[in-house]
Amino acid sequence: MNTKTQKKSQIKVITGNAAAAIAAKLARPDVVAAYPITPQTEIIEQISQFHANGEMDCELITVEGENSAMNAVMAASLAGGRVFTATSSWGLVFMYDAVLATAGARAPVVMVNVNRETPGIIAVSSGQQDMISTRDAGWIFLIAEDCQEVLDLVLQAYRLAEDYDIQVPVMVHYDGFYLSYLSEGVDVPFQEDVDAFLSVLKDQPERTKLVPGGKLGCGSHGILGGYLELRYKHVSAMERSKAKFNQIDQEFFEIFGRSYGGLIEEYRMEDAEVVLVGSGSMCGTIKTVIDEKRDAGIKVGLLKIRMYRPFPGEAMVAALKGKKAIGVVDRSLCFGFKGGPIYTELKAFETQLGGSKMISFIDGIANTDITTANVGTMIDTTCDLAAGKEVREVTWVSYPEAQEEGGL
Amino acid sequence: MTEQKKGKLTNVLDYLKHEDPFSKGVAFCPGCGLELLLRFIPQVLGNDIVMTGTPSCSAPVLLGQNNQSWHKLSYFGTLMTGAAANATGLARYYRKAKIDNTVVCFNGDGTAADIGFGNLSGAAERNEPFIYICYDNEGYMNTGIQKSGTTPFGATTTTTPLGSASKGKNLRRMNLALKMAMHKIPYAATATLSDLEDLAKKLLKAKEAKKRGFAFLHVFAPCTTGWGYAPENTIEVCRRAVKTNYFPLWEAENGKIRMTKTVKKPKPVSTYTELIKKFAHLNEADLQILQDDIDYEYCMLGGLSVLEGECQLPVSLED
Repeated sequence: MNTKTQKKSQIKVITGNAAAAIAAKLARPDVVAAYPITPQTEIIEQISQFHANGEMDCELITVEGENSAMNAVMAASLAGGRVFTATSSWGLVFMYDAVLATAGARAPVVMVNVNRETPGIIAVSSGQQDMISTRDAGWIFLIAEDCQEVLDLVLQAYRLAEDYDIQVPVMVHYDGFYLSYLSEGVDVPFQEDVDAFLSVLKDQPERTKLVPGGKLGCGSHGILGGYLELRYKHVSAMERSKAKFNQIDQEFFEIFGRSYGGLIEEYRMEDAEVVLVGSGSMCGTIKTVIDEKRDAGIKVGLLKIRMYRPFPGEAMVAALKGKKAIGVVDRSLCFGFKGGPIYTELKAFETQLGGSKMISFIDGIANTDITTANVGTMIDTTCDLAAGKEVREVTWVSYPEAQEEGGL
Repeated sequence: MTEQKKGKLTNVLDYLKHEDPFSKGVAFCPGCGLELLLRFIPQVLGNDIVMTGTPSCSAPVLLGQNNQSWHKLSYFGTLMTGAAANATGLARYYRKAKIDNTVVCFNGDGTAADIGFGNLSGAAERNEPFIYICYDNEGYMNTGIQKSGTTPFGATTTTTPLGSASKGKNLRRMNLALKMAMHKIPYAATATLSDLEDLAKKLLKAKEAKKRGFAFLHVFAPCTTGWGYAPENTIEVCRRAVKTNYFPLWEAENGKIRMTKTVKKPKPVSTYTELIKKFAHLNEADLQILQDDIDYEYCMLGGLSVLEGECQLPVSLED
């Protein structure tokens, strides 16, 4: 991350959830609708308090379930409002039909999803399975590494979602428990700077709005060519969002003095021979271990995925091309495939990587810590792969039993 | 009912102050109760309502196809699961943006009483500022006549068919309107197509009430295709539903129930069911079960209207 000193903010020690709530407040939404679920609850508690204190001038809808939260913000968004909601895990699943409808309607909704498992065995614990299970919904997905990035990404999400050329809903993801309840120093920007950052959205053409007497219908039967046209335009907008996000990252830097590199963040990648690909809070640990390995002379780097949908394939290929070996760390499963989901998707670009070898690491599921030791194992294994040694395609790092008896 | 002007059977035309926003020919079945209701609402409330609705019999006409439409209304076609939440989002944003609005959330009984009941109840509990209208054709007519929560005892549908072990739906129907009145919302009422002046007044009362919060109308809208009666009998079916107390007409302000039409000598339910094929297999004993349920519901309604008079809701909670 590039930073420059400036006097436009104040440092506060806050949780990831508080960072999300403050970012929502700074964005001045017209309508907020939400329902509590662990580990997201603190966000709506804080927003409710802001609202109660008169610090947040929005319509706050304390709905009776997540499905209604998404339906309410979708409609408010199509009517012309700026909206916010937040959820996690089962909540995301319970609103799934409306999540799809919101994307199909191209409603520029911004939602925070605090990542948590969604299995049959109840797991009130971290993991990206909720995100993975909704990845093809047609939303833009951004993933934060720390509490600062949570705040920054929520603000950037509005620039992306409400951009006239994009108009696609954006979900900001961060790891439940690890970031939701972690308190750390966060540079909280001043309102006037956020207003300036978002003011660009007022200078663009007005988007189509559903208003009384407007004689406009939303949600008609899309048939044959009509449906295809809308789907094609949606896919095209997703593609455009890549360049737009890079541009927003730069404009954010100009005002707030922080830049993350756009779609991906590269850490000690220039001369790296071996690379770990990761996302979310694990990246802090990975960077620490990389520094140690570098001290020991091992040329290892990190590619952090910040935008997961659309998949930043081209940016990843450019960064990874020619590397000897790549280890992809997934915090979720891709049922039907042995490797993790991000690994499986990156494999689609294998022929463009110029011979880089790839392996998959599954770790961090259901609050199993991705420890420095675990990351060390991943780097060592990837180095073995680079050296031409025989290694497993898929390693469940915290569950050695997976590697016994032939395993995966 | 109200006094009528001399020489007129009804004053209903006086209430139709706005144009019919629908195309002359639309894709409803001949004799459809829903079509009459749909054309009626904007003529009474105005063409500047924002209507929302879901996949249902109303959808082929309300939704349009691609960029073509059958009507001139602002309309949001959405999901059955979240219909009331969509309307909530619209009404709340308009309030925030200071845009004058009448949001009409228009759904069948499948959405209102079954899959979308949770968010309907939630919106009522939060006293959201819009009008919810349930047109009740007692089942899922658009998907081919399946049973819903408001399908009455004994009725055949494709999921409560006749068979050696089945005589149609073996459960009583849900009293959706009464449930909604029990939310103590500013306005809840029942209405039907044989009493259009009553319906028009209730629509206007609902529009007035939504300034104070949630307004709910339960409109009995028979289905010629799904129930099996002659298309020309739609209004007669409604009329007999009222005269047998099968579908009594009442309203409730802040939960206080008041009958808007009292039937002095209610006819036996058989005078209603005899018009309709879905009840044709019921024998006297079966009809008695249906009759007992109607009598029970009506007695409950009467009892509640008396009790509500005796037990005063705190004035501070009324608005």
